[in-house]
Amino acid sequence: MPIKRPRSRRSTAISAVLAIAVLAIATVALVLHVQQRRRGDALLRADPDRVLASRELRSTALAIGQPAFVRECAGCHGPRGGGDPLRTTPDLRDDEYLYGSGKPDEIEQIVLYGIRAGYSRGKNLASMPAYGRAKPYAGEAIPPLGPAEIADVTQFVLSLSGRSTDREATARGRVIYQGASGCYDCHSGDGRGDPGIGAPNLADAVWLYGDGSARSIAQSITYGRAGICPAFVTRITPLVARAIAIYVASLSHDRQS
Amino acid sequence: MTGNPEAGEVLWSPHDAAARRSLILCAAGAVLGLVIAGIGLFTAKGTRTSAVPAEDVALVNQVPLLMSDYLLQLRALYDVSLSEATPEQKKKVLDDMIHEELYVQRGVELGMQSDTIEVRAALAGAVEAQVAADAAMALPAESELHAYYDAHTEKYASEGILELEDYQVAPQSRLQPSAVAAALRHGGNPAQLDLIRTAAMKDGEEFYFAAKIHLADALYDAATRLQSGEVSEPLRLADGIHILVVKQNTHPLPRSYAEVRDKVLQDYIAEQVKILAAGNDRFLRKRADIAVARGFE
Repeated sequence: MPIKRPRSRRSTAISAVLAIAVLAIATVALVLHVQQRRRGDALLRADPDRVLASRELRSTALAIGQPAFVRECAGCHGPRGGGDPLRTTPDLRDDEYLYGSGKPDEIEQIVLYGIRAGYSRGKNLASMPAYGRAKPYAGEAIPPLGPAEIADVTQFVLSLSGRSTDREATARGRVIYQGASGCYDCHSGDGRGDPGIGAPNLADAVWLYGDGSARSIAQSITYGRAGICPAFVTRITPLVARAIAIYVASLSHDRQS
Repeated sequence: MTGNPEAGEVLWSPHDAAARRSLILCAAGAVLGLVIAGIGLFTAKGTRTSAVPAEDVALVNQVPLLMSDYLLQLRALYDVSLSEATPEQKKKVLDDMIHEELYVQRGVELGMQSDTIEVRAALAGAVEAQVAADAAMALPAESELHAYYDAHTEKYASEGILELEDYQVAPQSRLQPSAVAAALRHGGNPAQLDLIRTAAMKDGEEFYFAAKIHLADALYDAATRLQSGEVSEPLRLADGIHILVVKQNTHPLPRSYAEVRDKVLQDYIAEQVKILAAGNDRFLRKRADIAVARGFE
């Protein structure tokens, strides 16, 4: 017949201490979780434009955003957001923005719905037509250009940054640019682009495709361009999307300040 | 209420105050439970949360209105951020969003998706777009893209360029066309050889696709087989005899992967979209109960 031994005082004390320790750890974990949740909620409720100015919100955003950026975006944009010329992904650290003006809420929209990613809420308004192909643009009827016309438009584009080498070709190119080819429609009459539709500024020294040489400009005009950024709306939470947007905004904000 | 029956004690006595109280409390609890259950049963709106989640600006019948959409609307309508917006602007945007959500929900209640062509087209388009979005989400590895490029290099070739003069032998000419072609090869003057230059290709160099339109198939095929500086043999066509003098023929050349990577990615994703869309279509048809009238199978 088994004999049931009474529990010693010591083992009872150990059990009690262990129970209290587990309870304490659980309480601390719960408190930390609640605090983290509150910080996340505060970040989501805040004006994205003001987050970088608030030390607490900023640290919350960067703590979530930086690792999420490395996980989701670094494959194309590089671990520090410097871009990749091969993948033609932009440098996110400068103050040049193809879409919008670098405001965190604008970046957040791109993180969520992407660029040419299939979402109607995303950036899908326009692509660079391929003027050297029989049908330059799928969306509407645009007349193709001949090789000489492309060379003229290239000279005009070079002239926007003071690099034209042929005055007569530049004059002819201006007429084409402002005429039926419709270049002005996206890039504006002065070539400074339209961040509303992702039409780049042709008058500065920043080139997403190629090196800004006559050859690379002619290539873009002849064969067109259309980059893609995936939409993350089904993959990440709204908090992570906000945090990534703040982190990306901080890259150029910190560099300039 | 407690007692020992063997000792003749009763379990519950109405004369015992504590026993009466416990019975009343028990009954009150039961009634309260029934009332709560009844209210829940007759006023149920499905599972609902009482607080609006931080990522939403409002819930309309438990459907979230996203904060990101709200910020986008503020930016689109007034070009202001959340802190720059006035209370009136915020109210207007929120009211508009609630209005839209209510009408969407009402539309679904009324079965607009069955009756209204635009709604049906938008729904079908949105489902197709969702497939495209899924395909765009799964970005391929660089090696996959390169393999796709290798398998389709002709697609990424440059556009060929032609520059030529298209001459027609004058109908009244007594010169032998082959002799005229030979004379041209030796620098002969076209005007002295009874040749008339046609209007085709008068604008100088042209891409292949444009040259094909301007020359028509027979002359275009002959022209693209010639090298720069060559003169064709006389070509007898329905409208007369043609001789082509090719100044420049730049054949299409493969473009490097680096130059065309954005196009390769676009095409790769477009192909994935087609595959996914076909799979989606098969899945929907397979799980659907589709009955087709006799004679319309």
